[in-house]
Order: sequence, then C-alpha cells, then structure tokens
Amino acid sequence: MSLFSFLGTLEIGFIFGLVAVGVYLTFRVLDFPDLTVDGSFTMGAALCAALIIAGFNPYLATICAALGGAVAGVVTAWLNLRFNILHLLASILTMTALYTINLRIMGKPNLALISEQTVLTPFEALGIPNMYMTLIFVAVVVIAIGLLIAWFLNTQYGLAMRATGANPRMAQANGIVIKEKIFAGLALSNGLVALAGALFAQTNGFADSTMGIGTIVVGLAAVIVGESLFNSRSMLVIVFSCILGSLLYRLAVSAALNADFLGFTTSDLNLITAVLVGLALILPQFRREWKARKAAQGGAA
Amino acid sequence: MIRCEHLKVTFNAGQATEKRALRGVNLTIPQGEFVTVIGSNGAGKSTLLNTIAGDIRSSAGRLYFDDRDVTALSAPARTRDVARVFQDPLAGTCGNMTIEENMALAYGRGNRGGLTLALNEHLRKLFREQLSRLNLGLEDRLDAKMGLLSGGQRQSVSLLMSALQPSKILLLDEHTAALDPKTAALVMDITDQIVAEKKLTVLMVTHSMRQALDHGTRTIMMHEGQVAFDLAGEERSRYGVKDLLNLFAQIRPDGEELDNDKLLLGS
Repeated sequence: MSLFSFLGTLEIGFIFGLVAVGVYLTFRVLDFPDLTVDGSFTMGAALCAALIIAGFNPYLATICAALGGAVAGVVTAWLNLRFNILHLLASILTMTALYTINLRIMGKPNLALISEQTVLTPFEALGIPNMYMTLIFVAVVVIAIGLLIAWFLNTQYGLAMRATGANPRMAQANGIVIKEKIFAGLALSNGLVALAGALFAQTNGFADSTMGIGTIVVGLAAVIVGESLFNSRSMLVIVFSCILGSLLYRLAVSAALNADFLGFTTSDLNLITAVLVGLALILPQFRREWKARKAAQGGAA
Repeated sequence: MIRCEHLKVTFNAGQATEKRALRGVNLTIPQGEFVTVIGSNGAGKSTLLNTIAGDIRSSAGRLYFDDRDVTALSAPARTRDVARVFQDPLAGTCGNMTIEENMALAYGRGNRGGLTLALNEHLRKLFREQLSRLNLGLEDRLDAKMGLLSGGQRQSVSLLMSALQPSKILLLDEHTAALDPKTAALVMDITDQIVAEKKLTVLMVTHSMRQALDHGTRTIMMHEGQVAFDLAGEERSRYGVKDLLNLFAQIRPDGEELDNDKLLLGS
C-alpha cells in the first residue's frame, strides 16, 4: 500500500468514524435500528455540495448539511412514534424518499467540487502538503466530535437517553419522556452521519446520488469491530472504540483490495464488507464458546 | 394524599376480550398512610397502581394528589410526586449501566434534562452513604454494572433509588415477590425504614397476607375491580391471616375456591 493510499484510507476511516458514532447512538444507545443513514449520508454530501456551488460559505453549507440529516432522523422517529410503523420499516421509508430528495437537491446524479471552496480552503495557505493537511483536519474534527458525544452521553440528558434504550419502563418511572429522547437521538445520529457525508464530499471533491449505499453496514461494522476490541463501561472508551473500529475496518478492506495475490478489485468491495462484518460477528461468539468449553474442561479435571 | 373518585379502567373496550379491570374505585389515602393491597389474580391491584402512576389512563373517574387533579397528567409528569418499585428486579434498573449511573438517573427524577454531567463527587458520596445502609457491600462497587448484581441486590438498590428524590407517594408492586424469603425480609426492613424516614404515602401490593398485616397502617382488598373491604386502626390490629381468609370467603359467596391459597398464605 502506498503512503498516499494509506493516508487516504485513514482519512475515510475517520470520516466514517462519525457514521459509526451515529450508528452506535441508534443501534446501541436507543436500541432503535435505523437505516435512514444510507439516505442521510448522501443528503449531507448533496446539500453541502449544492450549497457550496450556489456560493454559500462552506462552513455554513456543512452546518446546513448536518441539520438536514437531523431533519431526516426526526422524520423516521415521527413515523415510528406517531404512526407505530416498525422502526426498521420507518427508516427504510425515509431512506427511499431521501434518494429522490437528494437527486432533487443536486439537480443531477452527481456534483463535482474540484474547483470549489471547501472547509479545507482556509488551511491550504499553511503550506502543509494536501494529503497530510486533509487527514489532520478530518482527524481533529472527528476526535473533537467524539469527545463531545462522550461528554454528552455522561450528562443528565445523555444518561436519560441511554436509559430510554436500555429500559423504557424504568426510564418513564424516573420521569423521562422517552419519545422526546428518541426524537433527539435520531436527530443527533443522522446529523452526525450527514456531517460525515458533507466532509466526504469536500475531501473527495464530489457528491453522488448513490454514495450512501451500504453506509449502515460500514457503520455497524465499525461499531462491532470496536466492541469486540474493548469491553468498557466508560462512554469515552466506547465512543472512541467506534472511531477506532472504523479506522481498522477501512485498513482491513484496503489491505484486502491491495493484496494482489487475492486478486480483488474495487467491485468486490461489498462481498469483502459482508465477510468482514460476518467475521466480526462470528469471532466473539467462537471466543465465548471456546472459553465455555475450556471452563467445562477445567471444572471436570 | 391520594384520592380516587369512581376510577374506571377498561381494556379492549367494545371487543370480545373486553376486561373491566377497575369498576369505579373510590379510595382516599391520607398523607403518610401505608396501605397494603391484597386480592386474587386479576382483581385489579396492579391496574390500580399503574393507573395512579399514569402508565394506564383511566377511562372514567378522577384522580387527585393533594387536591390537585392529575387525571390528565402523563406518567413522567407524575414522577414529581410518585416513585415506584416494580415486581421484576430487572424492571426497575438498567442492567447495562453502572450502579452510580442508575442512581444518578433516579436522582434526576422530576427535574430532568440538563446538559450538566450526571455524576460528580458530591453525588457519589451521597450514593455511597445510601448504599452503605443496605450492608451489602455495594458502596464499594459504585462503578459495577447493575447486571452483575443479584435480584435481591437490584431490588434493594431500586428501593434506595425511589427515595433519592423527595416524593410524596411510593408505589410498591409486589416488590418482594421475586426474592427469596431472607432477602425479601431485608427489603421489607429497608422499605419500612425509608417510609418512616420520608413520611411517604404508600400503596404496597402483596400476595402475602402475613406481609399485608405486618406492614403498614391499613389494608384493602381488591375484588373484581373494586375495593371489597378496607381495614384500619384498632380493627386491623385484631386481624390474623385466618380472619382475612374468612373475609375473603364472604366476599365470594358462590363458594369459589381461592385459586392461589399457597401464595396467600406464603411467608
């Protein structure tokens, strides 16, 4: 793997770290499997690109993109809470609708940002080579947001959100309005994912209507990889293990694609993803079974 | 003070499975009274508690706390006045959160939502003090996951949690039923302590006649969604388990056998 592609892999790994944190918030904290992210990732990229091309300040465009994603999350939560549509189905509905909305936002299937201003433009004057500068920028943003989310999950509000997912009855008995927490959680999660989309569009120079396909699997893969590495009660460790999981996942995919003897091409990406996620799910189970067998043998001896 | 006026609850109204769980309950419980609630399965005991807590909306009638009409208030809104402990030890706490986080949640009951850190040294000290009352050694395990605790330990912590915030009403729904006799006795001890200390108004559902008479200041029996009898003061102190069973038989003149004698007589 060349240095250039290695740095690029890390950069995408950090960006998808935001997706992983968002997916962690819905799947693990709220126990609300939310597939909206496939749409909200693209929405973030589309909104950001369209606004930048329309002449908006790239920072403002990025914030608008995150807010757009948050709105998508609220729609999913509303479909689920107001009309009792199963959470998975509600999120698939929103995701499907977003595909069209994203095409409308962009006006065509893809937008190029090559010659446009981006959030990175102000830092170009620093004279650091572009490939390092982009990575540093993305890493700083993602780590800062990771710290913020870890802090948030330890506040009274965050604790209430965790209780909502873990034990709704107990949460209510302690005065927590669970619907409000689900709305807030989905907005936050999809806002983070849309922010990732906006950063991806700006660092890679394009937005495409199909770029979000499989976002949920990648996010989930990162969460699972992170969980299998660390077993902690600390929110800080958990949030950063999501981000680390994303980095490791990207490196694993990149290694698989670069290993010439395997003969993989980029079109094999989805199979590689599925196999890696499958392994991440299967291995912890094997480890448990192995431990149990060992314990049984030890007891018999 | 709790006042129920003609409180009615009907499940699946208008359908073949319609169930009139509460059929016009009238009940006034003065401030500081500890009421034990008995009755056979399906008599409406838990429904009464859940209706007071706000989990179940009454289909008719009114409910007052201290002359304030709370009939329309949601369950979370009522938690300013009401604390609860459930029968299932797993229901009252979050297993994948730590002891201190669970207690911090309960500490936030009634004034929720801030973006300040939920835990600090001051609170940890308070939690440690409270936990040391249980003599279970939990005060040194603040950051252990709740899921690692036994049912009795979790129920004891639930009880402490219900008393962390000042509330007026404590609802106990067979909170010792899932515990072994020794742990149940310990949990009842703590219950009596907390109730006396905080001068709470209490409704405690129990399947044990013994428990119903030994604890609290008043006993009511529910039958078919109504209060069948109401014992207090001098009269109650003369009652034994046998007398209660006789009363029970009178209420069911059709000679219907108690379907759960064992539960009623148990410990």
